[in-house]
Amino acid sequence: MAPPSAEELTRRKKLEVSPEIVSNQASTDLPGHWPGENHEWDLDYFKDNFNVQFHTHSPHDATFSLTGIDTSVSNAFRRILLAEIPTLAIEDVFIYNNTSIIQDEVLAHRLGLVPLAGSRDGLRWLKWYKKPSDDDEGSGTPSDYNTIILRLEVECKWQEGGLARAVAGETDPDKLYINHNIYARDLVWHPLGKQHDMFPAGQEIRPCNPDILLVKMRPGQKIMLSMHAVKGIGQDHAKFSPVATASYRLLPTIDILKPITSADAKKFARCFPRGVIRLDTVSAEDVANDPQLEGQEGEPKAVVDDPMKDTVSRECLRHPEFKDKVKLGRVRDHFIFKVESTGQWESDELFLESVKLLKVKCQRIKRGLDEMIR
Amino acid sequence: MSQQQPNPQTYTTGYTTGGATTDTATIDANARTVHYKCGDCDQDVPLKRGEPIRCRNCGHRVLYKQRTNRMVQFEAR
Repeated sequence: MAPPSAEELTRRKKLEVSPEIVSNQASTDLPGHWPGENHEWDLDYFKDNFNVQFHTHSPHDATFSLTGIDTSVSNAFRRILLAEIPTLAIEDVFIYNNTSIIQDEVLAHRLGLVPLAGSRDGLRWLKWYKKPSDDDEGSGTPSDYNTIILRLEVECKWQEGGLARAVAGETDPDKLYINHNIYARDLVWHPLGKQHDMFPAGQEIRPCNPDILLVKMRPGQKIMLSMHAVKGIGQDHAKFSPVATASYRLLPTIDILKPITSADAKKFARCFPRGVIRLDTVSAEDVANDPQLEGQEGEPKAVVDDPMKDTVSRECLRHPEFKDKVKLGRVRDHFIFKVESTGQWESDELFLESVKLLKVKCQRIKRGLDEMIR
Repeated sequence: MSQQQPNPQTYTTGYTTGGATTDTATIDANARTVHYKCGDCDQDVPLKRGEPIRCRNCGHRVLYKQRTNRMVQFEAR
């Protein structure tokens, strides 16, 4: 049997987005699906087809495309990014005094959600902390290699002459009190033992975003507490997730089947986000090539400029004038990833880490299978 | 020993047994002082057992007990 043509292959890879339904979603490049075709997984074939392309690349926000990869694998990367890459977060809060209006447990929860940063090598060096359990005596001992101690000791006071100003009618808290806003930058790290070397100056443990407002206070209120930060994974609690969000979408496609010109072209362009559709002028060559453009030379014509910017809102499918003129779709094996780091690691590093973790998991399965066969 | 009219200097908490107040509740010199906060002027009010429940600064009669300084542990979850 003849191998499928290039058009047939691109058609197979395309999801069809119609006004009410999405069709052709399932991948068919599996062994036994197409008679006479071999779709067995092949490393060389994968190497030739797989491609990574970065679109935006800033430390805490990366967008990149993975092409020529199956959904199961790219979804595994996404899920590992969300739930299985270890990070440091505050786990235990020891409250000695808290006379602010935020309740102890709410304050503890807020503190837990503050993303912490520090030397990457130091964070890798940190070991897992195990909770103390009843059946194992001496377990769960915090140590310099698994626990980071932070403290928060603040007291709100009147500014010099603040009380007099308040009596005079001043209401701006900045002009009346000291320490009335407590931010994440007020958390003080107390290094222990080897942590001095692992987190040198400039790479010490600190909140990634120093301006997170933790508590608002008024004169006479006081907070004294210490915290234990440990390493954990997002599966356990969302505070350990290294990403604010890690998601992917499939590359949208817009196929203009019949030319859309003049006023319709402008309306068509407005159906999409800016930059998706470009308006070109119909040239003499276009008219010669396409009999449907007869007598429309010099008129504007809608051309797809950048389908990546499309949101697939399907607005263009609502208008009768574009009926049968346009076909929307998505490419099944083109994943546009967006990884927003919370700041402990860099986005691209996180993706590599997810690849590494998937590899480790595969090796574990392989070892298990070998055990079973033996 | 019973007092029909309590001495203004030694204040009793006023619990009575059979119409007579006992003087067991008079100020105990070596009792522990407890710090309260005045409900009106926010002043610190150190009180001993048997002392009048009253702010020394403004005379307000509502005092608040301070929060315990015992450590409380929470899970940040």
